[in-house]
Amino acid sequence: MTTIRKPWLHTATAAVVTAVFLVPVLWMVSTSFKKPDRILAVSPQWIPSPFTTENYSAALANPALPRALLNSLVISGGVVALTLLLAVPLSYALARIPMRGSGAMVLALLIAQLLPAIVLAAPLFILERKTGLQNTYTGLIAADTTLTLPFAVVVLRPLVQSIPAELEEAALVDGCGLPGVLGYVVLPLMAPGLIAVAGMSFLLAWGEFVFGLTLGQTPEVQPATVVLNSFAGPVRTAWGPLMATATLISVPVVCVFAILHRFIVGGLTAGSVKG
Amino acid sequence: MSRRRTTPLAVRRHRTGYLFSLPGLVFLALLLAYPLLYNVWTSVHAVSLSSRLGGPEPFNGLANYRSVLTDPAFWRAVRVSALFTVGSLVCQFTIGFALALLFIRPFPFNGLLRSLLLMAWLLPPIVSGTLFRWMLDGDSGAYNALLRSTGLGVLTHDWLTDPSTALACVIAANIWVGVPFNMLLLLVGLHGIDPELYEAAALDGAGAWQRFRRITLPLMRPVSAAVLLLGLITTFKVFDLIFVMTGGGPVDATTVLSLYVYEVFFRFFRFSQGAAGALLLLTVPLIAAALYVRRLRHERATA
Repeated sequence: MTTIRKPWLHTATAAVVTAVFLVPVLWMVSTSFKKPDRILAVSPQWIPSPFTTENYSAALANPALPRALLNSLVISGGVVALTLLLAVPLSYALARIPMRGSGAMVLALLIAQLLPAIVLAAPLFILERKTGLQNTYTGLIAADTTLTLPFAVVVLRPLVQSIPAELEEAALVDGCGLPGVLGYVVLPLMAPGLIAVAGMSFLLAWGEFVFGLTLGQTPEVQPATVVLNSFAGPVRTAWGPLMATATLISVPVVCVFAILHRFIVGGLTAGSVKG
Repeated sequence: MSRRRTTPLAVRRHRTGYLFSLPGLVFLALLLAYPLLYNVWTSVHAVSLSSRLGGPEPFNGLANYRSVLTDPAFWRAVRVSALFTVGSLVCQFTIGFALALLFIRPFPFNGLLRSLLLMAWLLPPIVSGTLFRWMLDGDSGAYNALLRSTGLGVLTHDWLTDPSTALACVIAANIWVGVPFNMLLLLVGLHGIDPELYEAAALDGAGAWQRFRRITLPLMRPVSAAVLLLGLITTFKVFDLIFVMTGGGPVDATTVLSLYVYEVFFRFFRFSQGAAGALLLLTVPLIAAALYVRRLRHERATA
């Protein structure tokens, strides 16, 4: 576009837009630090005074919450590991090797990406009950990975394709076996994509709700999202502890995004626009 | 050893290919293909909670589909889904486009502000839903408090418990969730437009509005179509946000199709009808995806 005459004016506009947009989030954090009587005050206050952490103590005093946060951590970690384990070799094969059936596999991944979770949760509910996977970490990790695997392959496959095949062949000629080529040549070049996939898989699994609700119905495996929903009871909700819980669940999301946002934004746009 | 060395690279590659895709293939077969086929099987048999405990599950043809298609609640859900989808898509896209036009300009802190917006999109939908539920609460919500403090107290309302406003509220919340992602994708599209076009048009005396109408809009058409189709698919997936805000209520006012399927399957344990409903629900994103893929092919062919 033409030269920008007043860049700071644009900054101001964008800052106001962003601030207005983030009001609900700021309100959540602010409420979580307010005394219960201040939360329902007639005139809303932005900066909590007096500042208190009692909502957090109250929320965490319910043993269901620490357990649920731990469950979410275990499930998300498992999903990241399983996703990378399946997606890296699969993306390599789909990118490099002409195989029969690779078209069908790409189609299956596409379908997986557009499935509303409930469509898969319904049959998985019956099948996991039959196989004893219901209410287990394994069952939840496997179900969540159906959400992350398609995304992972979509991000990683073009990355493999962008690595010059000559580079691999040179390493092979130099006496490096195929595993060596993958370990020393391909994987390091895929690093940014691997980080994006790990980060996005973590975020997706951490925020996942439908499978948690339907396939993990015991407190031993229930993720934090499901527990947050159960805290938001039908009437007379304790808003302070509820907002504290919502803030606690958001903290890892913000941290992961803050650390990895460059990689994630790159991965997101690559994954969505190019298909 | 030496024999292995002489195996042609292509053959070794080929073998490795199958070996490498095996874990993914097995996973997709067990957790995607089989469950979906099982869903089809369930939808044409009489499967219920009692039959699961060891009763007969006879084939009953299209009876389950018939029972879903004659259920007034299903058609109510179709209507709610249509309103939810159209409302969300139109507003997400328009606001996202406006924001993309703002953020395409280089200015200080552009990247930081963009990332902050995107963070809102990355919050778990359950968290966003909880936020909106609290803000729109009739007694103590921030929205009503804002109305009261600005002298508009007469407009305060039980937003989420009134059937006439609940749907608009969940649509608004979903717009909030979807705007940053729309903006991000449209920004990528805007970046693809050659800046020289604008310079040439400006030299020819075209004003800002004309440049937008004659350059930006037509050149953004393919990207916009892709973003809208993608939006259709994601909007059809929305479940968590509505579930936590209203649970589908009041009186089904916000029960979209995925919540309807949940109700039938997980609340009433009418597995067969639930499976049939799930497959009917699936037709919309499938059609959207087919259009999306066709567009991509078309673009590649013309590119």
